[in-house]
Amino acid sequence: MRVRVWGARGSVPAPGPEMNRYGGNTSCVELTLASGETLILDAGTGIRTLGFSLPPDLARINILLTHLHLDHIQGLMFFPPCFRTESIIRIFGPSSPEASLEARIARYISAPLSPVEVRELPCDVSFLDAPATEWEIGGCTIRAEAVTHRGPTLGYRITDRDATVCYIPDHEPGLGTDLAELGSEWISGFDLAREADLLIHDCQYTDEEYPGHEGWGHSPVNDTLTFASRVGARRTLLFHHDPLHTDGFLDDLHRTARRRWGELGGDPEQIAIAAERAEIAIGAVPASAPARLAV
Amino acid sequence: MRAEMPGPQKPLELILARNLLTSVTTPAFLVARDGTLLFYNEGAGALIGRPFEDIGQLGIEEWTRRFGPFDDGGEPLPFAELPLTRALREGRPAHDELTVRSADGVKHRIAASAMPIVGAASGASGAMVIFWPVDDEQAREVTTGRHEVSR
Ligand SMILES: [Zn+2]
Ligand SMILES: [Zn+2]
Repeated sequence: MRVRVWGARGSVPAPGPEMNRYGGNTSCVELTLASGETLILDAGTGIRTLGFSLPPDLARINILLTHLHLDHIQGLMFFPPCFRTESIIRIFGPSSPEASLEARIARYISAPLSPVEVRELPCDVSFLDAPATEWEIGGCTIRAEAVTHRGPTLGYRITDRDATVCYIPDHEPGLGTDLAELGSEWISGFDLAREADLLIHDCQYTDEEYPGHEGWGHSPVNDTLTFASRVGARRTLLFHHDPLHTDGFLDDLHRTARRRWGELGGDPEQIAIAAERAEIAIGAVPASAPARLAV
Repeated sequence: MRAEMPGPQKPLELILARNLLTSVTTPAFLVARDGTLLFYNEGAGALIGRPFEDIGQLGIEEWTRRFGPFDDGGEPLPFAELPLTRALREGRPAHDELTVRSADGVKHRIAASAMPIVGAASGASGAMVIFWPVDDEQAREVTTGRHEVSR
């Protein structure tokens, strides 16, 4: 499986010269499965550039949304395949007793917030509640489970042959508790992330910033690392960068995280930090990945 | 790093309920769908006389044998009649006044309100039971947050 980051920013796009290395686009990650199929995690503003890189004849596209906060769906309306009649797009997301996934997303893709309505999109798009049990797409198995954030939010566990990725971009498992002391059956997201080859996880705040943001739905470095350590993640990708965190600040945050991971008994090399366009290969990589257009 | 081998993960609504109970002084219990006591907070620990860490998760029978509730003659009340059981069975809140016994054998008169917890994904997953000491002095301590857990 090949993992490519198209947006790693949290909350709101944060473009600017001081953000160039890590990027200002919001959450979007592309998984290229061993079968060659593509799976897209979240549709933040990063999905726009991802869309330009996809082969124009790629018809079937699957998108897994963790939740409907704007930083995870904002790019949908600018995703080029949405405007091709040949595209067959399936969008999975959290269910709600209040309204269908389509109706909830249409609150954004409709007037006056948007110049187009969902029904006007020329592609064949369907909106599906993420199944409660494991399901399959393109030869990989997917599991979705509710995790601690503000509002109904899913985390995903995707297993493709010998590789498992866990994606929990918005997560505050330590809310009101000490993660190091808590029984593992009481830790939000534990089963999803258990022994994942790659854990892509919320790390929005430094430990010093966190007290002013407790309950906002995001993790400080210490909780991210404690969670990663408790679940036995083989590698961790720090994700959902605060819009205020510049390149230099994120460099420091990464160094701190690596040092702490070492103190927890791990290999500092296992802690990576997400930067736009960064690629990580896990397990079997597709022999002939689809050709890409230069972006 | 290697993961621990835990029991099955609790549904998110129980995890969040436990977080909530940890943050309030009102004595409260968290109970699974089958009546197993999953957690009680420090306020309840003060009432019972033992912190949760000393007792841990308990089955229904053991729980009622040790802590009641009891009728006026000191006999355990039928499990089916407890607010907690009614809340789980009927899927709606239930309330009653009961007598419980703390770890040191002292009996307390309490009001108990049980509320079923129904998760978005997992359905009925348990109940939360909140206790209000009927005894004036104790009730005042609980509502003002001035009580301590004996450890
Ligand atoms: Zn977010
Ligand atoms: Zn969010």
